[in-house]
Amino acid sequence: MTGTQVMAETVPESDRCTGAGVSPAPVRRARADWRKRGEIVLLSGPALLMFVGFVILPVAMAAFYGFFKWNGFGWPTQFVGLDNYVHMWQDHTFRDAVVHNFAIVVLSLLLQGPIAILFALLLNQKFRGRSLIRVLIFVPYVISEVIVGTGWSLMAQDAGAVNSLLEKLGLGFLKQSWIADPKLALWTLMIIITWKYIGFAVILMLAGMQSIPEELFEAAAIDGAGFWKIQWNITVPLLGPTIRIWAFLSIIGALQLFDLVNIIWGQYISATAGTSTMATYMYQNGHLAGSYGFGNAVAVMLFLITLVVALIYQRFVLQRDTDGALTGDSGKARR
Amino acid sequence: MKIRKVLTAAVALAAVGAIALTGCSGGSGSGDDGGKQTLTLWQNSTTGDGKQFWTDAAAAFHKANPDVTVKVTSIQNEDMDGKLQTAVNSGDMPDIFMARGGSKLADVVAAGKVKDLTSKVDPDIKKAIGDAALSAFTVDGKLYGVPTAVLPGGVFYSKDLFAQAGITATPKTMDDLEADIAKLKEAGIAPIALGAKDAWPAAHWYYFFAVRACGKDLITNLATKKDFKDGCWMTAANNLQKFAQVQPFNEGFLTTSAQQGANSSAGLVANHKAAMELMGAWEPGVVASLTPDQKPLADLDWFPFPEVSGGKGDAGAMMGGLDGYSCSEKSPSSCEKFLNFVASKQWQEKYATAFQTIPANQDAKGAVDNPSLKPLMEAYGTAPYVALWLDTALGQNVGNALNTGVVEMLAGQGDPKTLLQKITDAAARG
Repeated sequence: MTGTQVMAETVPESDRCTGAGVSPAPVRRARADWRKRGEIVLLSGPALLMFVGFVILPVAMAAFYGFFKWNGFGWPTQFVGLDNYVHMWQDHTFRDAVVHNFAIVVLSLLLQGPIAILFALLLNQKFRGRSLIRVLIFVPYVISEVIVGTGWSLMAQDAGAVNSLLEKLGLGFLKQSWIADPKLALWTLMIIITWKYIGFAVILMLAGMQSIPEELFEAAAIDGAGFWKIQWNITVPLLGPTIRIWAFLSIIGALQLFDLVNIIWGQYISATAGTSTMATYMYQNGHLAGSYGFGNAVAVMLFLITLVVALIYQRFVLQRDTDGALTGDSGKARR
Repeated sequence: MKIRKVLTAAVALAAVGAIALTGCSGGSGSGDDGGKQTLTLWQNSTTGDGKQFWTDAAAAFHKANPDVTVKVTSIQNEDMDGKLQTAVNSGDMPDIFMARGGSKLADVVAAGKVKDLTSKVDPDIKKAIGDAALSAFTVDGKLYGVPTAVLPGGVFYSKDLFAQAGITATPKTMDDLEADIAKLKEAGIAPIALGAKDAWPAAHWYYFFAVRACGKDLITNLATKKDFKDGCWMTAANNLQKFAQVQPFNEGFLTTSAQQGANSSAGLVANHKAAMELMGAWEPGVVASLTPDQKPLADLDWFPFPEVSGGKGDAGAMMGGLDGYSCSEKSPSSCEKFLNFVASKQWQEKYATAFQTIPANQDAKGAVDNPSLKPLMEAYGTAPYVALWLDTALGQNVGNALNTGVVEMLAGQGDPKTLLQKITDAAARG
């Protein structure tokens, strides 16, 4: 990333140097030119090498392996073309996983967004113990996924704490197989995800709220607007950029969800419980099954789906936030 | 100046990196050079007596062969296959690694990474182990590993809970078993513990129905001939589905793990929360580690998988697995020496006690003292044949699809037809 930025900033400058005819002797100019290039290569080279070596090359290799039937031993030799992709889409388990992924994307946005905004509104007021509550809400986000997964799976088991608590409260009729019942499991997962990631959303929203100028609220209050009216007409619209960035991160995270599912439902049963994701499918049918060619094909598909979603989102939702910053001159020209 | 320094540093770093990436195979002993040798060993026991056994064996071997040091590495069982695969690909294999035969071993053999031990294992030890156990480690007529334990399966049960439910004799047929399940349920006891979260324990039910339904040739040759056209596969699936309809398993079996903690299936048996579990010969050891006082469960006993009428399998046929060890292709000759050492009567006896299991060397059988293993050993001795666990025989790819397919069916999300479809699909993308 940094490599490309360095390039983008330095190249025009060197153009200017060589392009302007005012420079003295051509020999010195050539030397200065060489020096500039050397500097560019030196400064951006390592970063570029890392980026190509650890991002571009692995993606290209995954794409390559995806065309082979390969069990991981030695060099792949059995070329099968697009067979892996055909098998993948013919497998209802994979299609289910894609559906689960998109359900998690939508439910994450619908559940976490409103809750996070409400929490942020609350925590933006001044009251005793505010910092303590801020910390408490953020704590689950800091705990590692493995610990969250283990803890919740122990609590949500049939003989776990949740069911015992319900029974003790006299609510025994509400007892459920929270993680084993395929009708409930996805919702249990959503509760855990919300619990885990709400802190991150709240912190983002709070930061967004603090950047809204105080005068706007004062002016609205003087004009006689009530609390909710102020929030709805001032806070929420001005929070737009923050919400859009949070939603983007949430979508990407939901599409790549792996660890919580893999910890709670283990290596084998997430598909049966109705909580499998593309990433757990890849792990199960690529790595665990030893079908590395197929696994790489799934990885490529996961990459493509995420990329397409990200590009669509950038094009239609994030455009006004990122114009100029990411798209450069062409973006401005379009406007 | 500065730039040059940075450049030199970068070049040096790149060089070091390149060496690290390419040169790692130089580490472990390659070939015989007469001097000191180090043997690396990967085994799957991470705690307790099992881990201690390997430490002791390594120390004793070093004492007898001062030139050879055995370096033991404990690897969590579920990580073993993946780590070994990476090691095979990178050329940095351990000298001695745990293997279980079947297609899983055959894949590594096909990659040319396993030493042919045919003429290197002591004939006396071969004789003491017997052809049946050795055949699981034989690929194309050549021996590629030495078994350390035989692990046939069957139903482990609690005698106390059976008595509590008024059951006087162990079930001989499926109908008997279903009647006993009804009695146990009436007495308020979960009949069968099942750790479906790990998939293979659930799949074992299908394997045993397949042993009953399918003929000997089909089921014992799966490692080399993966043939699912025979109708017996469907019969076995139908039988299992029919059996599942009496709801014999503990509640929430889908998210129950096999061996971790008191709520696992082995833990349910260990704490008298469930009466039976279909398992391999490692069960007494696992249950012992999960009882409240961590002592073997006193009333644990064993009976063979009930007979199913109308199948092509011989009566008394069993299913089971083996634990064993193989040498990597590049390992020094002390590798086979160590395997011969561990397979000797003396060390096999220690192995049997440490792992609470049945040693592969039949001369060491006297060391087995767990009461539930005795009927199991007897049945094993008289079984007409013992088929290898289907997932081991079929290899990771088809084996995994089979295991998860069985879980799906038991959870009511698929039928025998989709199960068989899954297996054939997996074979296609392997």
